[in-house]
Amino acid sequence: MADEFIKGLGILTGSGLAWMVLASWYRTSSFESTKQLIEPLSSGATEGIFNIIGVTLMDAFLWFALLGALTFWVLIPAGHQIMSALQERRNAQ
Amino acid sequence: MSDNEPENEEIRTDGTGIVAPDNETPTWSERKARKTGLSRLTYEYFERARREDQDLRTESDYVERDVLAFPTWPHETVRNLSIASFFVGMILFLSATMPPHIGPPANPSSTPAIILPDWYLYWSFGLLKLNPLNPELAILGGQKIMADRTYGVLANGVVVGFIAIVPFLNKGSARRPVEQPFWAAVGVAGVVFAMTISLLAVKNLMPMNVDLLFDLTFLLPIVFGTVTYAVLKTMSEGYMYNLNRRYYRLRPPK
Repeated sequence: MADEFIKGLGILTGSGLAWMVLASWYRTSSFESTKQLIEPLSSGATEGIFNIIGVTLMDAFLWFALLGALTFWVLIPAGHQIMSALQERRNAQ
Repeated sequence: MSDNEPENEEIRTDGTGIVAPDNETPTWSERKARKTGLSRLTYEYFERARREDQDLRTESDYVERDVLAFPTWPHETVRNLSIASFFVGMILFLSATMPPHIGPPANPSSTPAIILPDWYLYWSFGLLKLNPLNPELAILGGQKIMADRTYGVLANGVVVGFIAIVPFLNKGSARRPVEQPFWAAVGVAGVVFAMTISLLAVKNLMPMNVDLLFDLTFLLPIVFGTVTYAVLKTMSEGYMYNLNRRYYRLRPPK
């Protein structure tokens, strides 16, 4: 259980850090804005292969952080719970 | 380790013997091949530290002290260096990768429209914005007994006073929140209130209705405290059951 917690936390923080860095380039007009990191893409974000790669990575990191944490904190423990419950029911019969 | 020890002495592996000498210390590839994990490494590390401590105590010129701890060098220093390296690395990483932001220079001759203290004092600044809570007394003909700013300053005294009283009300004998659900709920409510009152302090910047924000400032701590109490109260029975089961397995009742 502790292993799964640290896997989820590592994915969330590591991937979230990478997303934050990229979003500070592509979705932040000003660091005093109240919508920084979640603004629409800044102009010129889709010009050039490197910008396209950056924007793609930004979205990939965000989804990896969210889905990774969800997987290791919710889905896998829930799966273990279901398996052990099924095992207990099978043993009781 | 010296070479004049008897050759026939068996190498003990139960942790009571002398730690492996340098020529028996495993190489990095051997360590890697063991695949016994961090728990084994931690065990060996502390066992070695304990052994060094024991050797030190048996030396004739060793002075017994009341200190029970690991020495500053290397144990604490290595730990602290790794933590310091992490934060220095994080600062370097962020300053190297985030886009530079250099705002316009501050104008010292004009006060900005929004003035705020440092973030860790937002809670106190939020207490100055409790104007709707300052009662208008009918006995005074709808007048307030004190100015709103006086009321805000007194609110600081109430909060600080409550925090000062808590150690006298609860001696902190619980080792886990589940052992005293009520006080855990008080703590959670306090932490949540510290956050919500800080958000109230920056209500100019909050993208939501100010009246709703004001209500949530006082409702959210109660909600979170109640949920905490309910969850911990539910958990406490199972927790005490496990504790008793483990205790009585160790020492069966007479």
